[in-house]
Amino acid sequence: MEGEESKPLRATGRCLCGAITLAIHGPLRDVVVCHCGQCRRNHGAPPSYTAAAWADVSVQGDKNLTWYRSSPDARRGFCRICGSSLFWEPMGSGRVSIAAGCLEKPTNLRTVRHIFVADKAGFYDIGDGLEQLPHSMMAHAR
Amino acid sequence: MMDNRIAGGCLCGAVRYEITGPLPAPSACHCTQCRRQHGALGVYTLAPTDRYKIKGKRQLAWYQSSAGVRRGFCRNCGSKLFWERTGSGQLDVTLGSLDSSNGLKIEKHIFLADAGDYYDPPSR
Repeated sequence: MEGEESKPLRATGRCLCGAITLAIHGPLRDVVVCHCGQCRRNHGAPPSYTAAAWADVSVQGDKNLTWYRSSPDARRGFCRICGSSLFWEPMGSGRVSIAAGCLEKPTNLRTVRHIFVADKAGFYDIGDGLEQLPHSMMAHAR
Repeated sequence: MMDNRIAGGCLCGAVRYEITGPLPAPSACHCTQCRRQHGALGVYTLAPTDRYKIKGKRQLAWYQSSAGVRRGFCRNCGSKLFWERTGSGQLDVTLGSLDSSNGLKIEKHIFLADAGDYYDPPSR
């Protein structure tokens, strides 16, 4: 990934065990919480994701990054040692969603929206007053 | 409190479990470890270990996240399933991995001092 260091560092992150670290040299999208059944089962609770252009993301220790193809056009990346969820990638888009929980504070990110609320489980309520979409946010800019 | 049989498992289906209840109301953990590993809050209920039947244990990976504590996840799909204080005789299980919420509802939030800065934590 030549040339990315010329852009200012926006954020750094790592998995729980530290085997995988990442640095983002570019803009991060606002955080979106996904309530779909796949995310819930995989993360154990509804996840909070920011997103970036892949070209702006550098990953160290990616030999420990395992990808699971969770649908025909998306895959999920996690650390094979500690199990930390790091990425959700809509394949071929050139972009990657990054779990906000792996980023170092201050993230300077804010949560703006809930998606796939139609699939929400019963064990929690959404009480923050933010926008709720029943399904995906294809109508919104990624 | 629930007192029936409760089933769940990971996203790919390699690890499945059944728990004989009752299960207490879950708590949502905001600690840095939970948020890092889950990419979400750590939402767990628990039961004595001997009330679990777990299938697909070969695919269940364990990571020791602090002294005497380990976290269990599926090595194939990465789904977060369990949290265990070794030797306690209890096993915590993620609400998200349950096939149904079974009427369980988060009753308390813990480690709010470590909450992420990308959301407004609940006040309780």
